[in-house]
Amino acid sequence: MGGTLGVLRNDLRCSNARVMIGRLESVIYRLIIVPLVAFLPAPFPYGFAVLVGDLRYKLYKPFRKEIEYALEQVFGSQLSFEERSRIARDWFRLRSCEAIDMMRLVGNGRALTRLVKTRGLEHVEAALAAGRGAILCSAHFGSYRCCFSVLGALGFPAALITNWSYDDDRLSPVDRLFSRLIRSLPVTHHLRRPNIVRREGKIGVAIEASIVLRENELIATMLDHSDYGDPVAPKDRTRPVPMKFLNREALMLPWIITIAQLMDAPMLMTFMRRSADWRHQVLEISPPISLEGDAETAFQRCLATVEAAIRRNPAHWEKWNVNALVQLGMLSAEDRFQRSGESN
Amino acid sequence: MQSLIIAQISQMTKKPASTLKNDTLLLETGILDSLSLLKLVLFSEKQFGVSVPAEELVPDNFKTIDAMCVYLRSKQGK
Repeated sequence: MGGTLGVLRNDLRCSNARVMIGRLESVIYRLIIVPLVAFLPAPFPYGFAVLVGDLRYKLYKPFRKEIEYALEQVFGSQLSFEERSRIARDWFRLRSCEAIDMMRLVGNGRALTRLVKTRGLEHVEAALAAGRGAILCSAHFGSYRCCFSVLGALGFPAALITNWSYDDDRLSPVDRLFSRLIRSLPVTHHLRRPNIVRREGKIGVAIEASIVLRENELIATMLDHSDYGDPVAPKDRTRPVPMKFLNREALMLPWIITIAQLMDAPMLMTFMRRSADWRHQVLEISPPISLEGDAETAFQRCLATVEAAIRRNPAHWEKWNVNALVQLGMLSAEDRFQRSGESN
Repeated sequence: MQSLIIAQISQMTKKPASTLKNDTLLLETGILDSLSLLKLVLFSEKQFGVSVPAEELVPDNFKTIDAMCVYLRSKQGK
């Protein structure tokens, strides 16, 4: 599912009227307010985004409850009710701040990059100096849509493996327009190549990724999914495998490890997290992760760093909703129906 | 070349070699996915001493065993 309207349809599992209000609010925020305030001195747009996040936290009660429910299901008594509420509030704040990030990527991107402190760029430089490219792995964490564009704006050649494409012809014209205006123009502007997406008639994600690596460029992808960026066609043999993740078993695809092993490319874990002042961020890139052992063992090693990042900053993980957790196999389908019944 | 490629595909996909015909559509029928195709390209480069440039990594060159052999032989000739 792509496009802003599609995201809203997913995100605001409420009545149609609420969805309409949510769409309108999101459109006004992203298309009118964000462009107006984003380039003011940083404390203003991010302070405003925090206020919008707080407003959304209050307005979208069913979705807030769903985040709290998902947190409770995963962390159980490890988080108190107050902690879950705070995380849900911060989740809304982070999403609102991300819209500002995207807008600040317009042009040369310096409006955003000067607010981002980078750590571990030497690992990327060393990988490129070795001539085999590198794979940057992240998760749906923090301002993940902007994370690799920040690297691109800093001059690193990055391409992204995703399940969406800004020019996806399966999107409705309206969704495609929103997608282009809101995401495509600022975000992909800094990426070296179009997103690598599985599509009929194309040679495949793994091959396209290998081309990028052979050109000594960077491939970026998210690990925390079970269905996309998948180089394997749905009818093929390879299926998601159960991995230990956040106190549960999650179904994931370790194909990126196989690509790294085949291409002898280093794999670097990459996370961008927001500071307590909401405007500054830290982009951290790890040294190469060991790819010893089979693909699943190495994947579990990478996943452990994702889990550690989420545990340190739970609100940064975008997937605190029942549908996403069901898709990952972390909750049962009954949970989805149960929540849907409670929301309505 | 054909028998080596068939053996390699058979080993990767666990399909009996006898079921793999020279004109079987490998990508369309899902016998080869993108990962196994990547493995096959790397195998061919090593085995037959060729280099497959990025612009030639297109479905037409790998859609069948016959197409693969024609393509790889053309690379060997260069």
